[in-house]
Amino acid sequence: MEEKDDEGESVCRLVQPEGLFMRVKKNSIPRVQISTPYSTRPEGDIRNTVGNIPMEWYQDYPHIGYNLDGKKIFKPIRNKDELDEFLDKMENPDYWRTVHDKTTASDIRLSDEQVDLVHRLQKGQFGDVNFNEYEPSVDFFTNEVMIHPVTNRPQDKRSFIPSLIEKEKVSKLVHAIKMGWIKPRKPKETTPQYYDLWAKEDPNAILGRHKMHVPAPKMRLPGHEESYNPPPEYLLTEEERMAWEQQDAEDRKLPFLPQKHSCLRAVPAFSRFIHERFERCLDLYLCPRQRKMRVNVNPEDLIPKLPKPKDLQPFPTTMSLVYIGHSSLVRSISASPTGQWLVSGSDDCTVRFWEVNTGRCMKTLEVGGAVKSVAWNPNPAVCLVAVESTVLLLNPGLGDRLVVSSTDQLITSYEPPEEDKEQAVTWALSEGPEHDNGHRLTLTHPKAVKQVVWHGKGDYLASVMPDNSSNLQVLIHQVSKRRTQNPFRKNKGLVQCVSFHPLRPYFFVATQRYVRVYNLIKQELTKKLMTNCKWISSMAIHPGGDNLICGSYDCRLAWFDLDLSTKPYKMLRHHKKALRGVAYHKHYPLFASGADDGSVIICHGMVYNDLLQNPLIVPVKVLKGHQITHDLGVLDVTFHPTQPWVFSSGADATIRLFT
Amino acid sequence: MSQLQTRFFTDNKKYSVDDVPFSIPAASEVQELSNVINKLLEAKNGSHSQIEFDFLVRGQFLRTSLSNHMEAEGISTEDVVEIEYVERFTAPQPEECMMHDDWISSVEADSEWILTGSYDKTARIWSLEGKAVMTVAGHTDVVKDVAWVRRDGLTSLLLTASLDQTILLWEWNSERNKLKARHCCRGHAGSVDTIATDPTRTKFCSGSWDKMLKIWSAGTIGLWVVWYSVLNWPTWLNKTEEICSASWDHTIRLWDAETGSVKTTLTGSKVFNHISYSPLCRRLASGSTDRHVRLWDPRSKDGSLVLLSLTSHSGWVTAVKWAPSHEHQLVSGSLDNLVKLWDTRSCKTPLYDVSAHEDKVLCVDWTDSRLMLSGGADNKLYTYRYTACETDAGA
Repeated sequence: MEEKDDEGESVCRLVQPEGLFMRVKKNSIPRVQISTPYSTRPEGDIRNTVGNIPMEWYQDYPHIGYNLDGKKIFKPIRNKDELDEFLDKMENPDYWRTVHDKTTASDIRLSDEQVDLVHRLQKGQFGDVNFNEYEPSVDFFTNEVMIHPVTNRPQDKRSFIPSLIEKEKVSKLVHAIKMGWIKPRKPKETTPQYYDLWAKEDPNAILGRHKMHVPAPKMRLPGHEESYNPPPEYLLTEEERMAWEQQDAEDRKLPFLPQKHSCLRAVPAFSRFIHERFERCLDLYLCPRQRKMRVNVNPEDLIPKLPKPKDLQPFPTTMSLVYIGHSSLVRSISASPTGQWLVSGSDDCTVRFWEVNTGRCMKTLEVGGAVKSVAWNPNPAVCLVAVESTVLLLNPGLGDRLVVSSTDQLITSYEPPEEDKEQAVTWALSEGPEHDNGHRLTLTHPKAVKQVVWHGKGDYLASVMPDNSSNLQVLIHQVSKRRTQNPFRKNKGLVQCVSFHPLRPYFFVATQRYVRVYNLIKQELTKKLMTNCKWISSMAIHPGGDNLICGSYDCRLAWFDLDLSTKPYKMLRHHKKALRGVAYHKHYPLFASGADDGSVIICHGMVYNDLLQNPLIVPVKVLKGHQITHDLGVLDVTFHPTQPWVFSSGADATIRLFT
Repeated sequence: MSQLQTRFFTDNKKYSVDDVPFSIPAASEVQELSNVINKLLEAKNGSHSQIEFDFLVRGQFLRTSLSNHMEAEGISTEDVVEIEYVERFTAPQPEECMMHDDWISSVEADSEWILTGSYDKTARIWSLEGKAVMTVAGHTDVVKDVAWVRRDGLTSLLLTASLDQTILLWEWNSERNKLKARHCCRGHAGSVDTIATDPTRTKFCSGSWDKMLKIWSAGTIGLWVVWYSVLNWPTWLNKTEEICSASWDHTIRLWDAETGSVKTTLTGSKVFNHISYSPLCRRLASGSTDRHVRLWDPRSKDGSLVLLSLTSHSGWVTAVKWAPSHEHQLVSGSLDNLVKLWDTRSCKTPLYDVSAHEDKVLCVDWTDSRLMLSGGADNKLYTYRYTACETDAGA
């Protein structure tokens, strides 16, 4: 910066509170120079070096700052008070041009030039008097067009032929537009974009509470009683008024007395208004309202995933044949091992043999007593019938002649042993007309026989005589030796039904509540199954021998997995009424149950060889057809030995085949 | 209502109309179309008398309105629809009712005589007029199946199979009405439920509950070949060396009669009750326990699918029989007491339902001599007369 200290006189200084100086030279090119306080230093100039600080900080000191040499600048001794100030103002003609310098705490009298400068600046003029604001402008380049070019260079060829690069660029763009890579600019969406400010708000947050606002219940609208001129039936009579007054405020039906006024103008102010409002507010405040959080669960999801019945075919679905002929309820049915014949026993004292595929009754045998149970021998053509207190062995004479004759031979070839042992039943050979009818052996039991069942080999059979008071309830007979034995010494309860294990020497005995499994070789109790039923009605063993189903009179069917536990693996409660019969299919994974509600329910019961996998039980079909007579529906069910067909016998004296 | 462009054609020269497209209302049904044809024929030939026609669109009988049918079959309505028309197969007329003493298990008729087997342990011979001619008694148990073997002039050979495990071969002289048991065929260890004679009339085959199929030579009675199967309903195919059997083990097997080996096995899903073979269309028709009549192609390889299911019965189909002179028609009897007459070109609805029986229908037959027969558990044998259209004969 150019310094012109020697022109000291011609420079006027304006000392500003901030300590900035502006110098304006009179006789030079107009320019404005701003210099720091350090740039000019006239001799004898008292200069404070504390800087731009509030001078109040030095209020309590005797000095006011430091000069350039580091010496203290002392405050001038001042004893000017208000009066002196006033006198000075009145008397001093230069008072108006005197300013107080805070940094040096001295009064400075402004010169004429300085006053001029202040005036000019106040008017918004330049500080320098000689500064010409309106100098003529000089262009850098001329604006006139010259006739001669600046250079004499001829024009390039490329300036007047189309540019190859541009052409390439344009063709690229055109290609991109054709191919649809460049799309026309989308018009700007004019619709303003909004978003839900509260969409992600946590309902438990403080603000969320507002959303959970539960409005207060509305007040009841006024009725006829509240009218100023109610119909006369709403007005209380004298007795009613007395009774109203006698009552407690809480017991009153109406909280006020209906009153009649001649006109609306005559209605007085309601005196209890504030009180009632208060009561309502109290009610609302004291009775907390709460939003009920309802869990929205699809009930379908709670059902366990089972395969669809459609995928589990074959199983019986429709009624195909009705075997008509019996005149009373058909207690029991059994199919021949070949699947060609069916035997049925009924309360009309007959046993009938049916051809399965036509429904033809091939034979009818009178047996002198209601037939409680029939069982076709799994091996030869012997059929077994339990009639009241006897067990009959019949030869139906159906099927292979050779088998029929060999069966007869088997029975007649018996030779009585030397010493005759005392037996519980008497074995008698049928002769004469009874023999011609097919009767072969008669086992006279001391009590009524309820059930007969063959062993899988066809030589042994068991009969059940339910009796609560003796141990003679179950008898096991051997046909070839005509021997009878009573396997149990103790009475363990009323025996309902018995069954042989299909493969191993086990014997199942179902009493009212329990199923006991006996080992016939070791002669001991192996297992006792708790059925959780009140009264067992029927039992069936899975052909694999490890599973068992029990039907009970309390509408339940219990599936036991003998390897798993002595408790039921599954309880099925599909029937509405007491179960009467249950059965397993020999080959297909099916089991059926018949009940008093007239329906047969077919279930898919898959047993896996893998011990880790539990049996799969899926109910697949409800078969209806039997009429309910005397509150009895289906009495027995049995499966066809080879086909997925089920037979059911009912109290309506029919047998039905479902395929 | 929209119109359809149709063109009518027929094989029968007698009823041919000009080969020009017609515009027909899309909602028109068989009766209206029939009227159209009759009008056209009248215009062509003044002496034309009204005839009922049936219409085939792409080989399927028209049973609903034309638009519905085309929608169901997925035929475009844009093009000209080709409609074939044939003279309507007239309803079979019930003719005779022959009362038996017991259920009728089987029936077979030839051109002169009807042979029935019954549950009263006898077989009977009837004339076509319904007159009982002869009672064939000899079995000790229910007669399950009967068959004519051959006829040389007045003497005929006939077979009866019974529950008593025997098959009896009888010789019957129709002039003197003398019956003589020629042979008793023993060998089955179960009830013989079915027999079938071969087309050359020299051999026959029997199926039994002992799971055997046995072939016997009718000339010199003797055991021919024995094979294993479950209860079989054999039927001879056209060629003498092939036997087809439908069984309770859900299979149809094709056997080679010479070697006794299974050539083809067709597997179904239900028990088969009856099977019939038509040499005209070379198809098998089976009746099974699931209410359907199914058509099979015996020449196809193992495990092939059903060609067609005829579905209308509501009970087991106990008997099926192809028409002897028509390649599309068959008759079926069912446990729902109905006999149905089918055309394979209309598989949803039968041509006619014959509801004469009051109990289960157990057997049906269809002979060349314009007779259909059905017998059942109501002890009645019904015969129906039908008039074969000229176009159908030998089609």
